[in-house]
Amino acid sequence: METPAEGDSGSQGGATACTATAGGSLTVHEDQRPPPALQEDRQREGLVELHTSFRELLTFFCTNATIHGAIRLVCSSQSRVRTASWGLLVAGALGVLYWQFGLLFAEYWRYPVVATVSVHSEPKLFPAVTLCDMNPHRPRSARHHLQVLDEFAQENIQSLYKFNFSKNRDVLSAADQLPQPAFYLDRGVRLQRLSRPGGQNKVGFRLCNSTGGDCLCRASTSAVTAAREWYCFHYVNVLALMPTAHEDSHRSDRGHFVLSCQFDGQDCQARHFRTFHHPTYGSCYTFDGVSAAQHQGVTRGISLVLRAEQRHHLPLLSTEAGARVMIHGHDHTPFLEHQGFSIRPGTETTIGIREDEVRRLGNPYSHCSEGADGVDVPLLYNASYTLQACLVSCFQQLMVETCSCGYFFYPLPSGAEYCSSARHPAWGHCFYRLSRDLGTHRLPCSSRCPRPCRESSYKLSAGTSRWPSSKSADWILAALGKHGHRSLGQTPGLRSSVAKVNIFYQELNYRRVDETPVYSVPQLLSAMGSLWSLWFGSSVLSVLELLELLLDALALVVLRGCRWLHTAQGSQLGAATGATPTIPGTEQLPTDRRNINHLGGPAGLVPRNPSRSSGQSLC
Amino acid sequence: MAPGEKIKAKIKKNLPVRGPQAPTIKELMRWYCLNTNTHGCRRIVVSRGRLRRLLWILFTLTAVALIFWQCALLVASFYTVSVSIKVHFQKLDFPAVTICNINPYKYSVVRDLLADLEQETRVALKTLYGFPENTSRRRREAESWNSDGPKFLRLVPLMAFSQDETGEVRDFLTGRKRKFSGRIVHKASDAMHVHGSKEVVGFRLCSNDTSHCALYNFSSGINAIQEWYKLHYMNIMAQVPLEKKINMSYSAEELLVTCLFDGVSCDARNFTLFHHPMYGNCYTFNNRENETILSTSMGGSEYGLQVILNLNEEEYNPFLVSSSGAKVIVHRQDEYPFIEDVGTEIEPAMATSIGMHLTESFKLSEPYSQCTEDGSDVPISNIYNASYSLQICLHSCFQTKMVEKCGCAQYSQPLPPAANYCNYQQHPNWMYCYYELHQAFVREELGCQAVCREACSFKEWTLTTSLAQWPSVVSEKWLLPVLTWDQGQQIKKKLNKTDLAKLLIFYKDLNQRSIMESPANSIEMLLSNFGGQLGLWMSCSVVCVIEIIEVFFIDSFSIIARHQWQKAKEWWARRHAPPGPQGQDNPGLDIDDDLPTFTSALRLPPAPGTQVPGTPPPRYNTLRLERAFSDQLSDTQIPAES
Repeated sequence: METPAEGDSGSQGGATACTATAGGSLTVHEDQRPPPALQEDRQREGLVELHTSFRELLTFFCTNATIHGAIRLVCSSQSRVRTASWGLLVAGALGVLYWQFGLLFAEYWRYPVVATVSVHSEPKLFPAVTLCDMNPHRPRSARHHLQVLDEFAQENIQSLYKFNFSKNRDVLSAADQLPQPAFYLDRGVRLQRLSRPGGQNKVGFRLCNSTGGDCLCRASTSAVTAAREWYCFHYVNVLALMPTAHEDSHRSDRGHFVLSCQFDGQDCQARHFRTFHHPTYGSCYTFDGVSAAQHQGVTRGISLVLRAEQRHHLPLLSTEAGARVMIHGHDHTPFLEHQGFSIRPGTETTIGIREDEVRRLGNPYSHCSEGADGVDVPLLYNASYTLQACLVSCFQQLMVETCSCGYFFYPLPSGAEYCSSARHPAWGHCFYRLSRDLGTHRLPCSSRCPRPCRESSYKLSAGTSRWPSSKSADWILAALGKHGHRSLGQTPGLRSSVAKVNIFYQELNYRRVDETPVYSVPQLLSAMGSLWSLWFGSSVLSVLELLELLLDALALVVLRGCRWLHTAQGSQLGAATGATPTIPGTEQLPTDRRNINHLGGPAGLVPRNPSRSSGQSLC
Repeated sequence: MAPGEKIKAKIKKNLPVRGPQAPTIKELMRWYCLNTNTHGCRRIVVSRGRLRRLLWILFTLTAVALIFWQCALLVASFYTVSVSIKVHFQKLDFPAVTICNINPYKYSVVRDLLADLEQETRVALKTLYGFPENTSRRRREAESWNSDGPKFLRLVPLMAFSQDETGEVRDFLTGRKRKFSGRIVHKASDAMHVHGSKEVVGFRLCSNDTSHCALYNFSSGINAIQEWYKLHYMNIMAQVPLEKKINMSYSAEELLVTCLFDGVSCDARNFTLFHHPMYGNCYTFNNRENETILSTSMGGSEYGLQVILNLNEEEYNPFLVSSSGAKVIVHRQDEYPFIEDVGTEIEPAMATSIGMHLTESFKLSEPYSQCTEDGSDVPISNIYNASYSLQICLHSCFQTKMVEKCGCAQYSQPLPPAANYCNYQQHPNWMYCYYELHQAFVREELGCQAVCREACSFKEWTLTTSLAQWPSVVSEKWLLPVLTWDQGQQIKKKLNKTDLAKLLIFYKDLNQRSIMESPANSIEMLLSNFGGQLGLWMSCSVVCVIEIIEVFFIDSFSIIARHQWQKAKEWWARRHAPPGPQGQDNPGLDIDDDLPTFTSALRLPPAPGTQVPGTPPPRYNTLRLERAFSDQLSDTQIPAES
């Protein structure tokens, strides 16, 4: 006890005064000087003060360290057994701590999420409703081609089934003859019986690549589906040649499909309607009442009277009667071929919507996309991001890359043209191969298209009743007939040419599935803190203490090194001059140090002569 | 005893002075920093060098700030819920099933009441659309027309006007054109042109003094006429007493031809009557009071409710209802069936299978969400004889407002106490008032949506419907005569295929899904998280928090108070004894007044040249440590010296 205190107090500055006062009354008893020294020193404290020796450093650390266990290990070595056991304990505790940390962080970095289902009742926007009349009609410019195609189809079916179906009513009039672009009907692709040995009789058609070496059969047991698909293939060939097929087609029949529309008891506004023409679903109307909030009940939904006449311009393409309805989110592209349901004519169909919303957290928790920006597939649709739109865009892009033309039903990327047998003789083979790959997830599209981070799904439940009822049919058809077509109201048997659809929100509350992280940062830190306290009994500040100790030690080493070099030079000099500057007197030390300390900063660090002896002993 | 005494004495000797004995706040802080177990503080005092001290102060404060921040985050996320979804497989209670014919009353019975209205509607249809009538009826109409004149059309005139010039209105009755300068409610100008025709049909409603008028027009004549008819219909029916209305509607025996539940036959006695103003007599299955709720032991269509309904399309009101069929709603026994809002329709000449799937939801009320347990804390009185739901609250709110503003109640909802249904004998202009109020309600100006809160627990049955043609062409030959024979007591005519509808309601499976919310955080979790944070940054604990409170508040205040007291005493003494400050100079007096300081407490000799409490008290637990170090240091020094 005495020795170090004496040794230090001999060179006593303010440095050990702190230790002394903190250390205990015993030191104070023996050394009467510290209090004045302390006060004096407090006034003249430098900016940074370094410990004079490693011993002092260690003493200081041992006195003031707050890490449990470490003190016992480093600072009290009464016996080796005890040191060893403490060392083992500390090491064990550290080991367990880091193992637990490892587990914790491994769990955290997996970014686990919990899906929580919650029920909300804030009003939501009414979804967009798309209705199609399922009557694709012939573009005026392609009349002639379609006529040729129909004849070819007739010829095919007749050769297969010996069935002669009546000639199409749309007789080509001479007045409709417009300057036709060059047209080429690929007569090589025919409907035929494809029978495999031992297999079922199938009907289909065969598509080959340009060399004819690789062929692909589109076959089906039912001739109806096969004929429809075959017709569709040729229909696309024809339409793809028409430069303006998309634009002009829906003009002619506009306004005759929706006979009456009411939303929330009021007439629908024209600005809420968008029309477009779908090549296989005919004229389509999208009702997008953006500003309309949700209310519950049939009377608060949308109610439409539709004309569901069976005027088939293309009998082989559209085989259903009625209307097709799809309910989708705002500003989403409706993919009627993927979703949607059909409405029977002569009925009032009441469709209740229940909404489910899914919210994903996004990076780094799950792979999802906020919008079209973060996706490496450029969207071909001018609408908000949906998974389906992305997949279609991706497919179309691959199609342009591999088949060098785009599929007619999807929009074109810039600088590409639609596939047609006239221009790309083997496109059918390429297309079906590609779409089969897409179906079996062999294309990179499913990985390139993430799910959107916010998704709404609509659950529908429908009920139907007969509409109009036999008692009210006469006046209703008369009222409709006045506004619509005369032909509608005249014969009461034509009830099957109208349909009514009510779409409404079934419930005010909707379910939301949220992803919430299992570990939030505060919880992670809490868990860390608990583990740390449990096993090691220290804190972030203790780590800083350790860091300070290391920095101090480093500085001391550097200092020693400098001084050693200096003294080495000095001894050479001293040997030359015969002086002894190496060991200065103990009495002059405090003043010496204080002078230096006044300088402050790193300059004050340089000569720490007094404790050199003990420092050397430590080194 | 003796060792105990010894230890006590030792402790007493080694114990440092207590905090409040420190003479100044600075000394107190110093004492605290040296003695506390909280990391960081000690370093502030012990470190040498201004930069070092500053850094340690900075570190400590940062740690404190981080603790507060993180704890605030934890508190903020305290009121979150975790949701558990349980799927039970059990015997499920069958819900109440309410079945209504879409047509409320037998037309042959109500026709006398509605004869005038029908005539005028037909006249309007004729002028509008040239709708042909059968000649015999027209003659009768013409007679009555002459007798008392068209009162309905005069009261609320139907009008047609062209799209272009909205000021120009053609009255149906007179055929005259006249200027209309009222407010047009449904703006026709930007309505969708769904027809080639430019003419729009509407009607006019005026307030009491007929200065405020509103024109309601519809682009489709069907909607206009139905709406107009409905207004007058409600007026007429509002004056009919309930008893008479029930008699005019269908009886349970008439509506239900056959009934089968869980493979056991049931009949009209299993159904309770529920009279709905717009749907007439409805019948609720499995809602009998004082009877046990039926349950199904198996899923599948065989074990549910199977009924065949006789809809009797002949008796349909042609203007009120345009479709034919029935409405079905599945609900809880104590729930009000909102048949007009959420009913599922079934079609005649069809077998409709409805598969149900039960989902129960339980939400946590305050403070987790705004929901209400039983509606008792919602300031809207429930006018329905049913348990609370958001829908009931909204309707009750509207009806109450209606009674307040218009003086009478709307027909399609129940009556609040001490109110009457609106009719134009007593309230001639209620219709204008109603339409105005309804618009305000939709625009959420009545405040109903803000007041009403959702219920905390609810059951919902997800329905999946499928249809099949029924009866099939082959079976109808024997089915229809048999059913007619069954019904022989009630009706005297042969049943038609389009009069019948078959309905099957069943549980798809006996899985019940319960969505339950439970608090995600408990107090223990929060405290343990707090403990984690305190431990992580500063190795602090509750004891150190108490310590902080003691030192920083109690002790500091006591020191300040002491200083103030001394000052006051000095000032007092100086004032009262200005010439001779003898007692003031006595040092012993001062010491007696003051609490013992460190040196005086330990009876140490006063340090030369210093003021009395120059040194802070030592920490008692470091004493042993110091001794241990000295041993150790001497150990290490010996080899160094030797």
